Amino acid sequence: MDLSILAINLVNGLLWGIILGFAAVGLTLLWGVMKVVNLAQGEVILLGSYVAIILFTQYGLSPLVGGLAALLVGLVAGFLIYWALLHKLVGKVERITLKIEMSTLLAMFALSIALLNFYYYAFGSEPRGFGLWSIGVPYVRVLDTTIRTNILLADALALISVAIVYLFLDRTILGKSIRAVMQDAQAASLVGINPVKIKLLTTVIGIGLTVFSGFMVLLFEASVTPEIAHKYAPLSFVVVVLGGLGSVVGSLVAGIIIGLIYGFSKVVVSLFNPRISDPVALSTAFIVLILILLFRPEGIFGRKR
Amino acid sequence: MEEILVVDGVTKRFGGLVANNKVSFSMRRGEILGLIGPNGAGKTTLFNVITGVYRPDEGRVIFKGEDITGKPPHVITRKGIAKTHQIVKPFNDMTVLENAMVGALFGKRAHQITIGQAKEIARRSLELVGLADKADEFAVKLTLRQKKMLELARALSAEPELLLLDEVLAGLNPKEIEEALEIIKKVKVERDLSIIMIEHVMHAVMNIADRIVVLHFGWKIAEGTPEEVANNPEVITAYLGDPRYALRFVKRKGGGE
Amino acid sequence: MAAGHDNEMGTKGSTLEHYLKSPTLLILVFVVLGILVARIMGMSTLDTIMTVMYFMGIALSLNIIMGFAGYVSFGHAVFLGLGGYAYVLMVYFIKPLADLQNTGYGLGAFLVAVLAGLFAAAVAASVGAAVLRLRGAFFAIATIGLDFTALYLFKAVVPELNPEQFFGAQIILPADRIVEKDLVFNAMFLTLVILLAVNYYIRKSPFGVGLTAIKEDEDAAEVLGVPTTMYKIVAFTLAGFFTGMVGALFSLNGGGVDETLFNLGHSIDMIVMIVIGGLGTVLGPVIGSLIYFELYDLLLVHYPGVNLIILGVIVAIVVLFFPEGLIGLLRKYRVRGVRLRDVLE
Repeated sequence: MDLSILAINLVNGLLWGIILGFAAVGLTLLWGVMKVVNLAQGEVILLGSYVAIILFTQYGLSPLVGGLAALLVGLVAGFLIYWALLHKLVGKVERITLKIEMSTLLAMFALSIALLNFYYYAFGSEPRGFGLWSIGVPYVRVLDTTIRTNILLADALALISVAIVYLFLDRTILGKSIRAVMQDAQAASLVGINPVKIKLLTTVIGIGLTVFSGFMVLLFEASVTPEIAHKYAPLSFVVVVLGGLGSVVGSLVAGIIIGLIYGFSKVVVSLFNPRISDPVALSTAFIVLILILLFRPEGIFGRKR
Repeated sequence: MEEILVVDGVTKRFGGLVANNKVSFSMRRGEILGLIGPNGAGKTTLFNVITGVYRPDEGRVIFKGEDITGKPPHVITRKGIAKTHQIVKPFNDMTVLENAMVGALFGKRAHQITIGQAKEIARRSLELVGLADKADEFAVKLTLRQKKMLELARALSAEPELLLLDEVLAGLNPKEIEEALEIIKKVKVERDLSIIMIEHVMHAVMNIADRIVVLHFGWKIAEGTPEEVANNPEVITAYLGDPRYALRFVKRKGGGE
Repeated sequence: MAAGHDNEMGTKGSTLEHYLKSPTLLILVFVVLGILVARIMGMSTLDTIMTVMYFMGIALSLNIIMGFAGYVSFGHAVFLGLGGYAYVLMVYFIKPLADLQNTGYGLGAFLVAVLAGLFAAAVAASVGAAVLRLRGAFFAIATIGLDFTALYLFKAVVPELNPEQFFGAQIILPADRIVEKDLVFNAMFLTLVILLAVNYYIRKSPFGVGLTAIKEDEDAAEVLGVPTTMYKIVAFTLAGFFTGMVGALFSLNGGGVDETLFNLGHSIDMIVMIVIGGLGTVLGPVIGSLIYFELYDLLLVHYPGVNLIILGVIVAIVVLFFPEGLIGLLRKYRVRGVRLRDVLE
C-alpha cells in the first residue's frame, strides 16, 4: 500500500474534522446549558450557507461579506428561535425534566421540517455554491495532492472562531455565567444569575455559531444541497456525544477524531473494495457514536457525573 | 423471634465518599424501626441498598432468611419490600387510583392478578390512607400531604411485609403529622407490617418506634430503644453538630413530649 | 344490577352497555370496516387505501415504544428499511419463498412479511438491550445513529450481492417475484388488524400499565416492581417487528426497495402522527394518521411547494400549545358528567 495515500486521506480527514467540530460547537452549548437538542442542526447550518450564496449570486457581494452576514443572520435567528419556540418550554423552569427535554426536541424537529422544505422550495435540490471564486490562488500543493485554498480558509476561520468562543466562556463574566448555569442551574440562580437571560444568550450564541459554520461547510463542500443537512446533523450529534456535552474544545477534538477515523477507514476499506469505501467509512462514525453512548456517555472529555 | 431483615456489614461508596460504612443491624417481624441521623448520614442510601437500587460494595442484605443483595429493585419488591420516596414521585398523568394500581400489579402478587383485582386492592389502600374520595383525580393535582399519602398507598398496594418509609412526615404541619402517625399505626396492625422509617421529626419517631438505629457519616453509632438512644452521649454529640436537632433533643430531654 | 357491578369491577364487563360506555373498541372496528368498505365499494383507489394503511401501520408500530413507554425512537425508519430489504432480498434470492408469497389470497405474502418482521425484531431485541439503557435525547440520538449505520452498510453491501442487476442499493423485483396488489392489500389489512389488536391489548393489560409507569417516572416504576428493562426491550422489539412487517409489505407493493426507506423522513411521519393524535392511547395514532394523511393531501393540493413548510409550522404549534395531541386535549373534558378520558381510553 502506498503510504502517501494514507497520509492524503488523513490530511483530508483532519481538514474536514475541524469543520465538523466547529459546526457542532453551537449544538454542544445548547445541549449542555439548556438540554435543548437541536434536531434542526443540519438545516440551521444550511441557513448560513444559503445566506452567503444569495448575497453572492443575487447581489454580487464577496463571499467574505456573505460569511459575516451569515453570522449576523445567525444571531438574529437565535433570538427568534428562543422567543418563538424555546422560551415557552424552558424559559421559566428551574429543572429541565426528561419530559421538557422531549418537548424541545420535538419543537426543534418541527423547525427542521419547515426549514428543510423551505430550502427545497426556495433553492431546489440542485447544488449551489460560489462557483469558481476563491481567495488568492485556487489550489495549493501539499504532499502529492492539491488542496483547495477555500478549505484552508474555512479551517482557519473555524479554528479562530473556536478560540474566540473558548476565551469568551473562560474569561468573560457572561461566559462564566453560562458555564455556571451549565454546571448547576439552581445554584447559579441563587447567586443572582438571571436564568432567562442566560438561556436567551446561549440560544443566540449557539444558533449564531451554527449558522456561521454553514459558511465554512459551504467553503469546504464547494456547493450545498438541502440534502446535506442529513449528512451534517447526525455527524454533529456524534461529535457532541464524543466530545462531551457543553465542551467547546471537546467538540473540536471530537470533530478531528471523527475526521481522522473517516479518512483512515476509507483507506482500509479501499484495500478490499474501493467501491464501498465511502459508505462504510461513514458508518464507522455512527458505530463510534453508539459505542460511546453505551460505554462512556459523558464523552471522552466530559466529566463523570 | 423471627428476624425479617438482617443488614450485615453493608458498605456503599460513591467515588471517595463512603455513604454507608459497615452498617449492620437486624429487625424482628412486626417491629417499627426508626432510622435517624443528621443530613448526609447515609439513611436514604441504605434504603436504596435494601431495595436494590444500589448494589453495596461490601456486605449482605438478608430478607426472611434469603440473601437479596444486588437483586434488581423489581425483584425485591415482589419478594415483599416496598418503599416510599423522600421526594414524592407520583405518576402525574395517571389518576390516583391508577397510581395505586401500579403498586398492586407489580407487587407481591405480580402477574397473578387481573386489572380488576388490582383496582380492588388499590381502592382498599386508598381507603386506608384516606384518599378514597380522590381516586379519580389526577395525581398532579394533589396537595403535598395527599401526595405523601399516595406514596404510602402505592407501597401498600404491593402488599409488602416490610415497608420502608423515607421521611413520610417531612413538610407536614403538626396536625397532619398526628394524622399520618395514626394512619401508619393503623396500617401496621391491619396489614401485619414491619416498618423502617427514616425521620427527622424527632418526637414522632421517638414516639412510634420500638427501636432506633442512628447513622452518622455512614457509620452506625447507636442502636437501642428510644430512651437509650436519646441518652447516648455519642448521639447527642453527633446531633450537636447540627443545632436544629440539638435543640430538639434538649427540648425532649428537658420537658418530654 | 349485574352489568353495573361488572363495570365497577372492570374485570369482565362484556356487556353491550359496557362497550357503549367505552367505545374505543367500537371506533377501532369502524375504522377497520371503513377500510374494507372503501376497498370493496371502490370508493378510493387501491393506492390511496394502501397509503392510509401504511401510515396507520407505522404510527401504531412506533406507538408501542413511543406512545406507551415514552421512548422517542427517532431512527425508527431503520426497521422499515430492515423489513423492506429483508423481504425483497428473500423473495429475490429464495425461490420457495417467492412461490409462497403468491399463495392463499395474500396469506403467503403475509407469512413472508412475518419473516421479514422477525429479522427487524431480532435486530431490535439485540440493540434494544443496549440502547434502551439510554434515556431521552440520548436514546433518540442513538436510534438515529443506528439508522445511519444501517443505511450506509446497506449502501455498501447490497450492490455487491448482484453487481450486474442492482443499481446502487436499489433492487427492483422482476415480474415473476412480485405479488398482485390485491393480495398485498389483504396481507397489509391483516397486519393492520393484528397491530390494532396488539395496541388495544397492551393498553388494557398490566404490561401497558407498566409501560405507562415507565413513561411517567422510570425509577419510581422500577422500585414499585415494574421489570423496566424487560418491558422496554419487549416493547421496542414489538415496535421493530411490526414496523418491519409494514416496511416489507410497503416495499412489495412498490415492487422493490431502495435506501430511501431508511430516510429520517419516515421517522418524521411516524412521530408527527403520534404527536398530533396524542401519546399513550390507541386512538391517538389511528386518528393522528388519518388527520396527517388528509392534512398532507390538502396542503399538497392547495399549497403545492410550501405544503411541508406549513406542516412544520403546524407541528410546532401542536408541540407548543397542544402537547398532548388531539386525544390528550379531549381527554381533559367532560360531556354531561362523563369524563371523556374514561371513554377514549
